[in-house]
Amino acid sequence: MTVKTLTAAPKPALGTVLSLLVVTWVLTAALAPSVLTDGSPTAIDLHATLLPPSWEHPFGTDDAGRDLLTRVIHGSRQSLGIGLGATALAFLIALVLGFTAALAGGVVDAAITRVLEVAFAFPALLLALLVISVRGPSLATVVVAVGIGSAPGYARMVRGQVLAVRQAGYIEAAAALGHSRFAVIRRHLFPNAVRPLVAVATLGVGQSIVWASGLSFLGLGVAPPSSEWGALLDAGRLHITTSWWLEILPGVVIVLVTLAVTTLGRTLQRRLEGAAR
Amino acid sequence: MMKKLRGKAGIVAALLLLAGCGAGADAAGGGTPQTGGTIVYGHVQEPPCIFGGWIQQAYISRQVLDGLVTLAEDGSIQPWLATSWTVSPDGTKYTFTLKENVKFTDGTPVDAAAVAWNFDYWENKGGNSTAKVSIDPYFKAATAVDATHVEISLTRPFPPFLTLITQGYFGIQSPTAFQSRGEKENCEKPIGSGGFVVEEWKHGEEVILAKNPNYTSWPATAKHQGPAIVDKVRWKFIADGVSRYSSLGTGESHVVYEVPTVNWKDAKTRYQTIRYITPGKPVSFYINTKTGPFTDRAVRQAFAYGADRKSAVEAGFHGVIPYEGNPAVSQSTPGYNAEAAKAYAYDPAKAEALLEQAGWAKGGDGIRTKDGKPLTIKLVYGAAFIFTQEGATVLQVMQEQWKKVGFDVKLIPATRAELWGGKYADPSTFDATPSYWTSPSPSILWIVWRPSTVERPNGSNRSFYNNDTLGQTIDRANGEQDAAQANALYGQAQQIIQDDAAGIGLYTQNSTYAVAQNLKDVWLEKSQGEPVFSDAYFTR
Repeated sequence: MTVKTLTAAPKPALGTVLSLLVVTWVLTAALAPSVLTDGSPTAIDLHATLLPPSWEHPFGTDDAGRDLLTRVIHGSRQSLGIGLGATALAFLIALVLGFTAALAGGVVDAAITRVLEVAFAFPALLLALLVISVRGPSLATVVVAVGIGSAPGYARMVRGQVLAVRQAGYIEAAAALGHSRFAVIRRHLFPNAVRPLVAVATLGVGQSIVWASGLSFLGLGVAPPSSEWGALLDAGRLHITTSWWLEILPGVVIVLVTLAVTTLGRTLQRRLEGAAR
Repeated sequence: MMKKLRGKAGIVAALLLLAGCGAGADAAGGGTPQTGGTIVYGHVQEPPCIFGGWIQQAYISRQVLDGLVTLAEDGSIQPWLATSWTVSPDGTKYTFTLKENVKFTDGTPVDAAAVAWNFDYWENKGGNSTAKVSIDPYFKAATAVDATHVEISLTRPFPPFLTLITQGYFGIQSPTAFQSRGEKENCEKPIGSGGFVVEEWKHGEEVILAKNPNYTSWPATAKHQGPAIVDKVRWKFIADGVSRYSSLGTGESHVVYEVPTVNWKDAKTRYQTIRYITPGKPVSFYINTKTGPFTDRAVRQAFAYGADRKSAVEAGFHGVIPYEGNPAVSQSTPGYNAEAAKAYAYDPAKAEALLEQAGWAKGGDGIRTKDGKPLTIKLVYGAAFIFTQEGATVLQVMQEQWKKVGFDVKLIPATRAELWGGKYADPSTFDATPSYWTSPSPSILWIVWRPSTVERPNGSNRSFYNNDTLGQTIDRANGEQDAAQANALYGQAQQIIQDDAAGIGLYTQNSTYAVAQNLKDVWLEKSQGEPVFSDAYFTR
């Protein structure tokens, strides 16, 4: 059904095409970095330190003489991994809590809603910092931290969707037709409640990449010599007045990728909303 | 590199390796001295209390508390609160004559009883961990002979004693104030007889120090006689190097500590700069000799040969911070063994040969294994407090070089709480960990390398290296009255540590400062580079 709507849609906008290009590039970088570069992200060359961007080193080199573009390419797997992993985790938590609250109602709903409200009162980044301070910084911790940090917002959305969809005529009809409660949830309630959230999830991936970068920037992310994008930003910070490329270029990549993922998310959202109408 | 500066500043410059003062300086540099004003100083780390056993506390307590004696540039001991002193012929009794009519800022006298109380507080009441380990176990008792004479008796002769008590850890506080006030007040506003008093501590932001108008007890090394010339010092905590350095350019601060090495060249052309190479243990690796692959001396030596530490340091610190090959003491420490420092120059072939002989064979991925176990090295380092981003680059460069000879080095960044809170205390938690320990005396070897025994455990010996010959050599050096003989013994001790690769040298701990052109006579005392602001003045 989704495929049909997509093909039937008008010619995609230029922004969408460019976004697709960027996302394709970053997916390639994450899945098969050797397609884009044959260098090693940790190969040092003390005779070629802090070189500005050139044909040979399009993003320049850092203070250990490492090629920055190679490091950005190799860092994408972790950055993207954190973005996807954290969003997936956040949604898993959100689905469980949201559905439980909406379907169980009564005391359970009240309890979950209150807990979510309390969690929601804390900025997501603060929740993430809490998780990291308990578990210590590592790649897995960052995924868990960002995932838990962003779950409350999504959980509230899920609960709202489920409550809204439950009022719909077709749910009542399905129930009146004698379908079991479980069948109604599985075949009607779940797909209809979750569909609009797919777009939100896509937006969440971009957000998670930014948060993960932020945590790495604060030194709370993955251990060196990883070239996770936030870690690159952190490393480049000292050089901002002397070797701008070390800070600016990884920053530009983060912005572009987040922008591209978000643009695609919005496009998807519009299409799905169109389909629902 | 040293250029001649004008007037008083020139003396300071010569004394402190102050280099710089570029072309733009002349207009501002020759101005008329002013009285008053507020110095804004950009420091890095905020300590938990104004005084204590951490160097960050010595830096700031130096502004508020006076010591008994101070260290001059030539290494001689000079008067401060004590105008003179005598040492008994057997070297176990030091009698200090105190300057008369000196008052703490609470009005009570700085007398012999107060000084004796302070020694008792540091050594027996847990008042200062570094003051304690510095003179422990030589310290016996401190007694007030009369109002102006205090006698410190030692269990054995210990000539480094005088040098050690010049450090900021040994700042004298008012016992009256200490005993009559609460813990929090003592911590935040200790009462001394120094050039400044703590006016206010805005946590997370700054400590405001106000001039002590009744100051009479400046050290013999002071640049002027009398109370501080400025009214206030705002001691700000600006952890981020970029913001800290740029605050000088925008005029938000007048002095900054720890100039990022990428900005050092720029700083030298625009400001007065001071670089101080800290004596004591340099930033060097403790090598875990108790468990893991480094129990084998050959593997430790291979580790030392396997990385071009000198080039890594030059790259990471942009040629500003000197490499230090001696793991035991730095090049600015008396009794430094320069020969020992030359060992283990980069030689990957030798590293590989040593590892082969030790039975570590190279696997398919280039990482060596022995009995099925990979040659993995857990390298734990203090991220963002011992190691700046620049230091982290040094480690990453070496990690890559070590990989080539077959070491799989895992860099494990640790926070201060983790590192000092005991997470990495157990030998099983790490294989190598770099750190420094400043001290004006080679007797620092005693703190760091004294063998750990059941009766006298030594938690500072993080290599877990128990060598009785080494312990005895340091012990003999500590008690030796003849300075040349003592240094020869300290030199032997350094050689033993180096020969056994019980530690591996890396770089010297430095204090770098950039000072605005219109602020003169900011200087660093000699023992560990504590900044002194009580002689500083603005020019217009």
